[in-house]
Amino acid sequence: MTHPAGGPVVHDAATLPSNDNVNPYAFSVDLEGQWFLQKGKMIAYYGQIDFHAIGHGPLDHLIAANFHSPLHASAWVVAQGRGKMLLADRAYDINSYDLDEGNLTIRSGNLLAFQPGLTLKQSIIPGFLTLLGTGKFVAASNGAVHFVEPPIRVDPQALVGWADCPSPCHHYDHAYMRGVLGGIRALTGLGGASGEEHQFEFSGAGQVLLQSTEQLMPEADTGGVPASAGPGVPGAQRPGSRS
Amino acid sequence: MAVFRLQGTRVLAVDLAGDAVKAKKGAMVAYDGEVTFKKMTGGGEGLRGLVTRRITGEAMAVMEVKGTGTVYFADRATEINLVRLTGEKLHVEASNLLVTEPSLRTGTTFTGLRGASQGNGLFTTTVEGAGQAAIMSDGPAIVLRVTPGTPLVVDPGAYVAHTGNLRQQLRSYVGLRTLIGEGSGESFRIHFEGDGLVYVQPSERSTIGGDV
Repeated sequence: MTHPAGGPVVHDAATLPSNDNVNPYAFSVDLEGQWFLQKGKMIAYYGQIDFHAIGHGPLDHLIAANFHSPLHASAWVVAQGRGKMLLADRAYDINSYDLDEGNLTIRSGNLLAFQPGLTLKQSIIPGFLTLLGTGKFVAASNGAVHFVEPPIRVDPQALVGWADCPSPCHHYDHAYMRGVLGGIRALTGLGGASGEEHQFEFSGAGQVLLQSTEQLMPEADTGGVPASAGPGVPGAQRPGSRS
Repeated sequence: MAVFRLQGTRVLAVDLAGDAVKAKKGAMVAYDGEVTFKKMTGGGEGLRGLVTRRITGEAMAVMEVKGTGTVYFADRATEINLVRLTGEKLHVEASNLLVTEPSLRTGTTFTGLRGASQGNGLFTTTVEGAGQAAIMSDGPAIVLRVTPGTPLVVDPGAYVAHTGNLRQQLRSYVGLRTLIGEGSGESFRIHFEGDGLVYVQPSERSTIGGDV
């Protein structure tokens, strides 16, 4: 933020932006009704706002319609009321995006908040969440977000999410598998040359979101699904079985 | 008269012309000219200040920087914010205070439970007088105005400092649902009422109440 001669910019309830960024690291929600947000990302608010945990309570109906991830329920809350609310996350870059009858899949740790016009579902890819519908959502990234179009291969750690395109698959360089050393690597996972032999591959039409670092944000949940989901469901782990 | 200049947002340059500023110990990264650095015991507040800081645990490692030249300050690449005071009182955590002009007096004050919920102790540092102070925040601080009609609520982990005539009150939102594991993640909040400015950072310190 710039500091003009008269001192820093002072915001109040009226001058805070409405559903827009205050600076690259904080987002101001003009709340009138409800928003879903990740726990602990609210830094300040004006007005009357209540925070309801996801679970039993007065918002059962809303949650039944818009929140379909039991694993992440403990990490999310519903803000209800009226006022201006500031969101931020560890001084990371914050961006908001509009979806219009769209779908977008995003790493669970990067998603901060979304409007109830959107529906949150757990992706079949462990650690990712899918948003469907129309509305605004807010996401954090370590460094600015870049949009790229498939076909593209991306570093697993730089991937934030993707929209409108088929889910990615793993891609391994051929040399990674070849020869004696490659065999050892393939069998034991030891060694490795450049650290860039493994990528995620995207194909089809859509957009892929990348962050500017390969440093992952700590994630609250790995996004596995309950063991009862049974065989054939990615991420489901039966007790005693190896991954 | 010391002149404060921000170099970018994470380095503060202070031009000294024979006068002295108080700075966080070890925050100097470079200087030119003839400058001396002297440790000030007890925050440079005399014997009474020393004893108060010892008792309250609001320790402040301060050095006096004196001479002629330019001194550059920075601390762990945190953002630096300049605050100009004209007689009012600035409340700030000692760990967030980087540099103060000699015309400013520093002291300690009791904050009550807010400090306890932040894990910063029950006391906070005050800066009083007319002049400039530099405070640090994790990410650029956002300055929010509080007026009698528009009270402000702040997460204890994001609070950095405040000025003006504000009443603050820590409120707990722990209820039955918190006890059964359905906490809102925002169970402790500071309410500010009155007239003044509150500085918040776009990041949350880990606090005792933060996960409840």
